[in-house]
Amino acid sequence: MNDFAPLTPELVAELICLLGEDRVHTDPDRLRACSFDEVAPRFWKAPRTAEAVVTCRSTDEVSRLLAFASGHRIPVTPRGAGTGLSGGAVPAHGGIVLSSERMNRILEVDAGNMTITVQPGVITSEITAAAAEAGFLYAGDPCSGDASCIGGNVAENAGGNKVVKYGATGANVLALEAVLADGRVTRFGGKRQKDVTGLDFVHLLAGSEGTLAVITEITLRLVPWCACSVDLLACFPDTASAVAFVPRIVRETGILPAALELMDPTALALGRRYLRAGASPEDPDGTGTHLIIQLEGNHEELLDTELETVGGLALGAGARQVYVASHRHARERLWRLRKAIPEAVMAFYEWYSKEDVVVPLSEIPALIDEVGDLCRDLGLRCATFGHVGDGNLHVNLLAPAEHPDPEGSLERARLRLYAHVKEHGGTLSGEHGIGLKRRGYIDLFLDPAQLDLIRRVKAAFDPAGILNPGKIVPE
Amino acid sequence: MMRVAVLIKQVPDTDRVRMDETSGTLVRDGAGTVPNLLDLHALSALETWFPDPSALLVTAVSMGPASAETTLREALALGAREAVLLCDRAFAGADTWATAVTLGAALERLGPFDLVLCGEKATDGETGQVGPELAVLLGIPFATRVQEASFGDGRVLVTRQLEDGPEQVELPLPCLLTVTAAVAPLALPTLAGKRTARRAAVTRLDAAALRLDPTTVGLAGSLTRVVGLERPVLRRDTRVFPPGQSAAGVDAFLDACAHLGLIPGPSEEP
Repeated sequence: MNDFAPLTPELVAELICLLGEDRVHTDPDRLRACSFDEVAPRFWKAPRTAEAVVTCRSTDEVSRLLAFASGHRIPVTPRGAGTGLSGGAVPAHGGIVLSSERMNRILEVDAGNMTITVQPGVITSEITAAAAEAGFLYAGDPCSGDASCIGGNVAENAGGNKVVKYGATGANVLALEAVLADGRVTRFGGKRQKDVTGLDFVHLLAGSEGTLAVITEITLRLVPWCACSVDLLACFPDTASAVAFVPRIVRETGILPAALELMDPTALALGRRYLRAGASPEDPDGTGTHLIIQLEGNHEELLDTELETVGGLALGAGARQVYVASHRHARERLWRLRKAIPEAVMAFYEWYSKEDVVVPLSEIPALIDEVGDLCRDLGLRCATFGHVGDGNLHVNLLAPAEHPDPEGSLERARLRLYAHVKEHGGTLSGEHGIGLKRRGYIDLFLDPAQLDLIRRVKAAFDPAGILNPGKIVPE
Repeated sequence: MMRVAVLIKQVPDTDRVRMDETSGTLVRDGAGTVPNLLDLHALSALETWFPDPSALLVTAVSMGPASAETTLREALALGAREAVLLCDRAFAGADTWATAVTLGAALERLGPFDLVLCGEKATDGETGQVGPELAVLLGIPFATRVQEASFGDGRVLVTRQLEDGPEQVELPLPCLLTVTAAVAPLALPTLAGKRTARRAAVTRLDAAALRLDPTTVGLAGSLTRVVGLERPVLRRDTRVFPPGQSAAGVDAFLDACAHLGLIPGPSEEP
């Protein structure tokens, strides 16, 4: 699969003739900037730099580009904002990086059908704002919504804070316009809530990491805007009591939170240090674990009753304190720490591995204990936070600066973590994707028959193998 | 026990405030509302300055429509023991002076207070005038833009956050302080606080209850009028220097800075 053609100066000149000079970029700074994402490059052994970055402005231009690339066997790596956490937008074999930055228009808000249709380069928060302007909620908003592009969200089937109630990005996609590897343009799905005509290509493409086709237009489902929402911060004395409380919320109150986030003691300490915030009065010994529980509704009185029910249950389950944020300023204050944790990890650790595992809710307590054990064995630390409501935990394995073998220990920790996750019926990635970072481990979770199917589906869509080669499955 | 009045305003919940071009007033429909952020910092400061809540009796006061009761309940959840809403059609359209007149009448009736506290300004008006005007009407000293305060012996020593650096001022009590966001991190209400606030009574006072002549409050009592709106024109003059022309780009940038007076020009160099 490595017999791709180099992008020679002659081919670059041909590309410029095809698309125009302002679409093709070969400035070395630009090439480097488009050759990595948010993952530390040490996670792949043979990093490559893009040979050209192309900024198409229309589906027709994407079509011409892919026909050109197929004809010359040049790899094409689609790229959104570069905020990915799996190396999905890294050009593993060089070639062309196809940036969606110039395909950034909101094409339509259809209030009657409760949909919004956008180009792939639109920043996710702009979709959220446009939907809100029309009185709707776009619910597939990941934590990186202020920076990430919707095309990348769909390609990775990004999750986020509201998956527990609304599902991941893919669950909110109704239709896609896509360009196939040979340049043909097709449409999958439509503005319809049901569709069993043929195979469900929409949800095959969502999460396919740009390996099957290039998405050029996306129609998203909108849902009614909830008139009011409230966020609770429940401060538990330890992780075990916090995690044990999670399933009780739905089971005992019948209330489905819109978001349910966990921050363990290490994650909290990192976030506080990053924000230069003082110690929490509820957590004098630094062992506390916090849960953020977001509730939504349309009637303030009813929501007040629900927050008292859930908050009271938390206090009864051992929470030392429950704080309530019922307006934007308080909400921003409450979430600031949670949102600071990913940055804090990168700020304070040179050697770390951000994991994205998912297990059934009932298995979370056991997994957290096992992660603690393996980190102790290997001289590592662990900051666990994330979407505990849907079982998706961001286990951040951290090597202290004085660790004698950070790289080897992190690798051993990942293997032990993955083994535990598999034992508990979990999987490798819930929302970050496989990309380059995790492709070497996918065979721990998928059997040979499935890996073969993935390769055959890829070959059916992209016989020349030019679309984002080197991702998801080992070559 | 020290008696404190905290003024808290309900403001539109938007960073993109729209204006009615005809009336010159804010378009509040559909924006939702929030408590004014700096007023919340004022409440939060009390927690920092006076760790023992039993030493304080805090009264939260707001002038606004019936919906401002939500904002007052947030103040109650954050530790205020009483909440008073000044609500009357006659109060509508008030400028900063008419607002201060109304608040002043309310504090005269509800007081006396040892300390009056509010945010430096509200996000919907951005004037910063109500606090000082109210202090003048009450006949008490005031300090604006307070970021630190320490209390003792009937006096308060404050640090004001000014453009050219901090300034320390000592005031006798009673006095009025307007605070910046630096005064204290935003406090979050507890579940217990919310429960109490939800069930607490909010007192409503109208113009008659405050014995205010309707011609002295609201639009009728306002000394100022918005006679027109002008928007500053933001202009960008972007020049892109491609790779290989970085030095020319730096020179052009320095020339532009000199032209704007931000750095000495070539002729002014020593």
